[in-house]
Amino acid sequence: MGAYMSEKKYTKDHEWVSIENEIATIGISNHAQESLGDIVFIELPSVGNSVKAKDEICVVESVKAASDIYAPIDGEIIEVNNNLENDAAIINKDAENEGWIFKMKISDSSQYSELMSEDEYKQFLEQ
Amino acid sequence: MPINYKTGIINEHKNVRNHSGIFDVSHMGQILIENNESYLHKLEKYIPLQLKKLTKNRSHYSFLLNKDGGVIDDLIISNIDIKDKSYLYIVYNASRKKEDEEIFISCAPNAEKIYEKNCLFAIQGPDSINVLKNIIDIPNNMNFFDILISKYDNNEIIVSRSGYTGEDGFELSIPNESAENLINLLLKNENTMLCGLGSRDSLRLEAGLSLYGHELSEKITPIEAGLSWALDKERLEDENLNGNKVLSDQLKNKLSNKKIGLISTSKSMLRDGMTLFDNNNNEIGKITSGCFSPNLNKSIAIGYIISEFNTDNPIFCEIRKKFELVKINNLPFVKKNYKKNGSIYE
Repeated sequence: MGAYMSEKKYTKDHEWVSIENEIATIGISNHAQESLGDIVFIELPSVGNSVKAKDEICVVESVKAASDIYAPIDGEIIEVNNNLENDAAIINKDAENEGWIFKMKISDSSQYSELMSEDEYKQFLEQ
Repeated sequence: MPINYKTGIINEHKNVRNHSGIFDVSHMGQILIENNESYLHKLEKYIPLQLKKLTKNRSHYSFLLNKDGGVIDDLIISNIDIKDKSYLYIVYNASRKKEDEEIFISCAPNAEKIYEKNCLFAIQGPDSINVLKNIIDIPNNMNFFDILISKYDNNEIIVSRSGYTGEDGFELSIPNESAENLINLLLKNENTMLCGLGSRDSLRLEAGLSLYGHELSEKITPIEAGLSWALDKERLEDENLNGNKVLSDQLKNKLSNKKIGLISTSKSMLRDGMTLFDNNNNEIGKITSGCFSPNLNKSIAIGYIISEFNTDNPIFCEIRKKFELVKINNLPFVKKNYKKNGSIYE
């Protein structure tokens, strides 16, 4: 795969993924944080776990509801955003940057290419 | 009424506890029933109060009961005069309009559903009186659960000092045509804001107040729900009251379940429907309402457990297939802040 791809892509589960040097960073979309409302807690995934696309790997709890976070592609979890442990509301403030949730070393970059571009995600939201 | 407005549930919640907030609860039922002896007698089959003896200009928390003493709905019933005529004014849950109105109309065929022409607003929080008093005449000695007729825009409006947040506050029943004007005037006060269903729920839960469809249902009696204080004990001897035998037996004997308050010991949220277990993985009860408490910065819940369970022992809640320790907490979670001298809520 290419050494450097920084275009942000989106899943139908309202997660975003960006890739740099085979490392994917994942969070929930700004649209997702808006519909969840005040986020009060996140159960972070375990570093070292190997996961498959669509596996439920952690949970975001807002005042309204609990919401599962899925692995967008196959890979190994290599880092989590520990800042969220003390202040999950960072996701409300900046879901698509500071509010990233975990990083994965990915094994199949073709899965990434199949995800939606920002424009495609916008259209998906309008449907 | 939306779940929340722009600033979110937690901010709305805190604004009510610290200042004030306005809830548009126009979806709730409001009905006027003429205060006549035959109507009252028929209503007393369902309502466990001595309706003939209700004090004028006072409200009471009560219920409609089914034949087994289960709760068809919980409601606020008040005795007021409008244009020199005496009425019972009843406010009831939107989700139970059909069931309640069938009963009201069968008892009093000319009962008037005034929610069709009147909005209902609740302004709640310690600053409510300051926000309201320049707009509507509120007597200084008005206590929690007092109710009166006042004027706004040359229309008669019903003002009660009440609400369901645990805070001081008022409910205003106001003709539709004046409603928008009044809301805009209230919102000119920069410390108040519109609040939605989300904060309404977290506020009532912190205050330990029951919600129909959660703590209350046709299968739960007011006694099982820990609300026996709201029953007129003389009425329990009256054969005319639905479920009177069940209720007087329950008062004398031990109940099979008890209502409890719970606080999470982890960061996970306690939610409606989660199951509670003892030390040995035996199911001992269920959560009926759970939420994040902005005041305690933890998740809180109300639920029912079997009476024989000794609450000195640990309780676990199953959250996403894991057992998490929860702690019993006396209700309410947050102290009520009513203006009163001897209100039935004490």
